[in-house]
Amino acid sequence: MPRNTVESSLAPEVEHFALHWETSVWPLVLGVGVLLVLPLPFSFHFVYQQSFLAVLCLGVGVPLTVVAIAGWVNEGLAGHGEGLSTPAMGWFILAEALLFLGFFAAYWVIRLSAPAWPPAGSVPMPTVIPAVMTVLLVSSSFTYYAAEAAHEKGRDDGFRAWLGVSIALGAAFVGLSAYEWSDLMGQGFSIGTNAFGTSFYSITGFHASHVVVGLGVFLAILLPALGGRTSAGLIKAGGIYWHFVDIVWLFVVSQVYFL
Amino acid sequence: MAFSLKEWVFTTDHKRIGVLYLIGALAAFAVAGIMAMLMRIELHSPGPDLTSNPNDYNVWLYFHGAAMILGFQIPALLGYLANYCVPLMIGARDVAFPRLNAFSVWLFFGGIVMALLTFVVPDPPDIMWTGYPPYSIKTAGNTAFYTFTVLLIGFSSILGGINFLTTVVYLRAPGLGWNQLNIFVWSIVAAFVIQLIFVPVLGVAVTMLSLDKYLGTHFFNPANGGDVLIYQNLFWFYSHPAVYVILLPFIGITFDIIATFARNRVFNYKAAVYGGIGGVLLLSGEVWVHHLYTAGMPDWLRLGQMVSTLLISVPVGLLMISLLGTLYRGSISFRTPNLYALAVNFTFLIGGLTGIPLAMAPLDLNLSDTYFIPGHFHYVMAVSGTFAIFGAIYYLFPKMTGRMYSEVLGWTGFILTFIGINLVFFPMMIAGLYGMPRRYFDYEQFPQVAGLQLFMSLGSVVILLGAIVILWSWIHGLLKGAKAPDNPWGSKSLEWTTQSPPPPGNWVEVPKLSPDWGPYAYGK
Repeated sequence: MPRNTVESSLAPEVEHFALHWETSVWPLVLGVGVLLVLPLPFSFHFVYQQSFLAVLCLGVGVPLTVVAIAGWVNEGLAGHGEGLSTPAMGWFILAEALLFLGFFAAYWVIRLSAPAWPPAGSVPMPTVIPAVMTVLLVSSSFTYYAAEAAHEKGRDDGFRAWLGVSIALGAAFVGLSAYEWSDLMGQGFSIGTNAFGTSFYSITGFHASHVVVGLGVFLAILLPALGGRTSAGLIKAGGIYWHFVDIVWLFVVSQVYFL
Repeated sequence: MAFSLKEWVFTTDHKRIGVLYLIGALAAFAVAGIMAMLMRIELHSPGPDLTSNPNDYNVWLYFHGAAMILGFQIPALLGYLANYCVPLMIGARDVAFPRLNAFSVWLFFGGIVMALLTFVVPDPPDIMWTGYPPYSIKTAGNTAFYTFTVLLIGFSSILGGINFLTTVVYLRAPGLGWNQLNIFVWSIVAAFVIQLIFVPVLGVAVTMLSLDKYLGTHFFNPANGGDVLIYQNLFWFYSHPAVYVILLPFIGITFDIIATFARNRVFNYKAAVYGGIGGVLLLSGEVWVHHLYTAGMPDWLRLGQMVSTLLISVPVGLLMISLLGTLYRGSISFRTPNLYALAVNFTFLIGGLTGIPLAMAPLDLNLSDTYFIPGHFHYVMAVSGTFAIFGAIYYLFPKMTGRMYSEVLGWTGFILTFIGINLVFFPMMIAGLYGMPRRYFDYEQFPQVAGLQLFMSLGSVVILLGAIVILWSWIHGLLKGAKAPDNPWGSKSLEWTTQSPPPPGNWVEVPKLSPDWGPYAYGK
């Protein structure tokens, strides 16, 4: 017999549903924001060389996106939370894993069919920075675990502190990543140098963008938490996502840097 | 209840989101249909007719293919039908994440906007729906729009998948077991699992395309260590399973329509669900290489792909047997939805049988890139899918609008389109056997197919007439149709137990189901 686990949470809304159609402005605002943040500026800048229009799109789109996410989170915390974020995150991670698999598949095909690896024009990969980055990211998974544990025990101060530490570790990771990129580019190794440059920057960049999204999720948890509002589902789902990004990094660091 | 624009634009209700998907999908279908007519006008005689610029033809072909698959069929099945039917069929008040659902539909509209910009920007995309490099990287056309159309609609679909899989697992009505689900619900579950696994890979492929073109990377550039076959593999790794993303829901809704109008149980329910739908799901990811037979590969790989491709006809055959068995000794009524559902059996059979020679590498090497291919996939996917979608729109028309369509107009539209598609797509396969290559806008070197081409162009006019009658039947039904009862078809399925159209929250009281209840329990 299947169990309808959220039946109880829906029951009080029965009357609510019967009275009027549910609405929310934030999905549409976020949809417009997304369009203005990526597809339009990219096309204006790279395809039509209209960089001013690209900046204009970003100038409108970025605040719009931030406002939409804030509004959405606010609505979710105000009692319209859906409570099934954790199982849903599992499906999302399946899709995310396949994204990285696609990049890695291309990387290995290129690498294994190359006459020599790394190809001419590559520079030696740093070893200390990625090692430090690994330590930062792995420890951030543990600090986030500590934050979750504190939240479960109702120790709000501990929760906020550990969450803050996790954010700091993640931000340091992104900072080091940026430093390393600029260092390598300074040595003349860029995304267009050769097939290794292509793979290196696309994989690390794509991973770093996931860390940035994870940090965004953490901020969306931390900022309302400062005012005492939290959602257990969001905290758990955000944690699963963060651990996933952490695990992907282990593949990135081992296969792109050290192997 | 008075009409309120705000309650539509900002809606988070699954039924209204479904209708929004339908509006976007039909808009894409209409423009894709206009592109098809432009191509048929161009092709009615051998030389350049409507245009002397091959790029114009490429742009029409790009829009027709991309909009029909990404803008019409997938959103109509996984957007409109899934949204409208799944929560109603499982007795839920809404999906698990209503706001995420609304975000999905707006991402989809973003993709539609990017696609429609094709007609206003300079240098529009002209790379078919496949976007093969190196052409897509060297062309002056706007490959970025293609990339972002795919990414937006793909992301929308991934979010939809997360939402619907969570919904079906957690929000079924009390007492509703897995073996009591409608076949359509099962098919949506399988289709979304396929989407979640394979769409990201397509996203990677088209992202690399724009990176190569605009940021100077070397994924597909052999001169710098890249490989164009990476694109072809990543692309078909998604795009062959995409065929099943379309196939499963359209067969699923065909099951529901046929069971309702045959007033009969689904024959071999468990074989259809676990063997048919489950089998397609399992095999969907291992057949994509047959799209690359002519791209160069060792014979042992061709042989293996031949076997694995033919293997997929086993679960598909199970589904066909169940469909026909559902009709067997049923009490069949020939209402418009059922005409379409029955036609799906016919067109899908033709499409399936013409797929067998294409699975065989020795035949495919000769038929590849001829008109045989578009003839085949229009039968198996384009026409079968579209007929199932149209049948579903007629089937749900009373539920969605609270009004009945005119059966005379419904029949007329069906007969015209059914004749029309056979006039166009059957000769297309014959033209392929005569060696006519696909994608040519000027075929003076192939005078032997000129008669067939003219025939197809005339046939396309019949389809156009049919489409106009269908559209008119919907508008007419919407404005002047008789008031629909809650369950005009006498269906046992849950979506017909509520009012027409359903209120917010779907039911005043969510149905509670006993273990012997079933959506196809006729004759009990």
